[in-house]
Amino acid sequence: MAELTLDTVTKVFNDGDSNEIVAVDGVDIDIDDGEFLVLVGPSGCGKSTTLRMIAGLETVTDGEIRLGNRLINNTPPADRNIAMVFQSYALYPHMTVRENMRFGLEESTDMADDEMTSIVEETAAMMGIEDLLDRKPSELSGGQQQRVALGRAIVRDPEAFLMDEPLSNLDAKLRATMRTELQRIQEDLSVTTVYVTHDQTEAMTMGDRIAVLNDGVLQQVGTPLECYHTPNNRFVAGFIGEPSMNFFDVTLSDDALTGERFSYPLPGDVRSSLGDATEFTLGVRPEDIEFHATKSSVGEHDFECVVDVVEPVGESNNIYLRFADDDGPDPDTFIVTISGMRNVSSGDRVVATIPPDAIHLFDDRDGRAVKNRSLSEVDAVAPT
Amino acid sequence: MSGATSDESATTATSDETETRTALNRVVLYAVLVGMAVFYLIPIETGLMTAITDPGTYTGSTPYLPPLEPLVPGTGSFSLEPFGNAFDGLSRGLVNSVILVVPATILSGLLGSMAAYGLTNVDWRGQVGIYALFIAGIFIPYQAVLVPLTQFWYNVVPLRTMFVALTGIPFVQEYHWKLVALIITHTAYGIPICTLLFRAHYKKLSSEMIEAARLDGASVSTIYRRIVLPLSIPMFAVVFIYQFTQVWNDLLFALTIVQFGEASVVTQELVGIGVSQSGTNFPLRMAAAMLAAFPTLIVYILFGDKFAEGVTA
Repeated sequence: MAELTLDTVTKVFNDGDSNEIVAVDGVDIDIDDGEFLVLVGPSGCGKSTTLRMIAGLETVTDGEIRLGNRLINNTPPADRNIAMVFQSYALYPHMTVRENMRFGLEESTDMADDEMTSIVEETAAMMGIEDLLDRKPSELSGGQQQRVALGRAIVRDPEAFLMDEPLSNLDAKLRATMRTELQRIQEDLSVTTVYVTHDQTEAMTMGDRIAVLNDGVLQQVGTPLECYHTPNNRFVAGFIGEPSMNFFDVTLSDDALTGERFSYPLPGDVRSSLGDATEFTLGVRPEDIEFHATKSSVGEHDFECVVDVVEPVGESNNIYLRFADDDGPDPDTFIVTISGMRNVSSGDRVVATIPPDAIHLFDDRDGRAVKNRSLSEVDAVAPT
Repeated sequence: MSGATSDESATTATSDETETRTALNRVVLYAVLVGMAVFYLIPIETGLMTAITDPGTYTGSTPYLPPLEPLVPGTGSFSLEPFGNAFDGLSRGLVNSVILVVPATILSGLLGSMAAYGLTNVDWRGQVGIYALFIAGIFIPYQAVLVPLTQFWYNVVPLRTMFVALTGIPFVQEYHWKLVALIITHTAYGIPICTLLFRAHYKKLSSEMIEAARLDGASVSTIYRRIVLPLSIPMFAVVFIYQFTQVWNDLLFALTIVQFGEASVVTQELVGIGVSQSGTNFPLRMAAAMLAAFPTLIVYILFGDKFAEGVTA
């Protein structure tokens, strides 16, 4: 067990014709001992490459990777004392579950035979797979194979676990179960864990902290709620959260933000914090928009809208709204999440309120957040 | 009611027609299949019938009929003597062929598998270039290397003199040096095609599985021994059958390297058996041919199911 440090880690792939592809660009992350860090980002953002560099399966072009203050850039994977769980489970098909779990112990330690047997059996009991020990992987279901793959990593008692989208081949129900189970196991063992996923539900629910990557560049490292409520930039704001944050292109003129269909007056303190930029993206979470079926007095942050599409999810409804004056064939819509018990149907005329303390503003020049939502009413999760 | 009945009879008529057509299709299919089977089996059947005919009564008999002389005149009389004689005549060649084919097959399979593993599942620079050289090896015609081969084994490598020292070991004869030369030649010639076959198989192995083994602490050679080798058994069946047949049936290299004498392999012995100035002993030649082909048949039967697995994998 040890802390894992990535210090300006860069990976450049050469595809032969002196074409250089920068897959990972100067990533800095400090992962504490026993911490569960989720690396999240869209496909091709470099998250798997980062993980493979930590594992030693890819060379590091530049920067340093340290495990417990030991520089491991050039250490072969076998000597890093790291265990990895792969998306395809990567079990050895010709070996039984027992042999699969023993293999790492046989190859990396000089443990006595009966010691290995007892470790394998203990771990199998912990994973609930003790009845499967003498079966081959092909005789197991996907969920069971997943458990074996995890068990194989656990018996090694490594300093760090690396997991590359380990749950993505499971069906939705099993994935939810395994998600909590994985968290429980990680907490019990308190082994430093790096978990790669593109699924932001997994990122939000599992990690102590999230590291958001895009195009090989680290966008933000923070707790799930920090990333959710105080995103560093527009990319993080749009990537974290389901349904995604609504974005409107706006221009600052006088004391109001002017969009294509609306004008949004800014409170004085917000206005003064914006500096000299004029082009912004206004972001607001779907659940932050207040939704009124009717409203007698229309204030300056209220907008008359028409319901375009209703998506019932059960506990909530995702309502796609368009501005009342936007009646073209392909209107721009934005999403509002309301309670599932409220009955709304397509075509209803409603009023949507965008509260000034819930808005995020991103500078269009670099996407950086210049104003995040106020957290005064949620100080329990205030950033540390 | 009457409408419904006529409808029903119409349906029955159509289904009757369909049935007749399927039945006809089946008849044609089976006729063709039986015809093909007869066409392919007749030469073997004729060979077998000839091989069990008494050489003295063979002349003038119909070769594809069983020898039932006392019962059916003009078919020759039954005798197992040709097989006995063929075995006596070929025994030295059979022993030499076994000494040759077993190591040559295993070595080319094993080395081909190792080469394919090194060229496919281990990462290093320039492997495509090396692999291209292997592939080029497949296309070197036998005829082009006959003279260099003779020069190599008779003039360049002093294998013969090296072997004199080994004759003290039981069962090792001086003439065995020619078989060793032949084993090495066949192994070298077999490696490229074996590498190609194994590489196709190894490309399909999960790279994550190999990586998992690396993280588990296994070295390159351990991964080969404990992961890759056990997973290539079906492919070994394919390669063993192919190489066994190639080496067993080869005559050209044997003629070039062994030339003549005690080290002659079965294909060389087969050339001369049953031929003399007084004429050709066809039953003996047929029996000898059957005997020489028998080991390859055994290999197909032994590895058949694994072969099918390897081909379809």
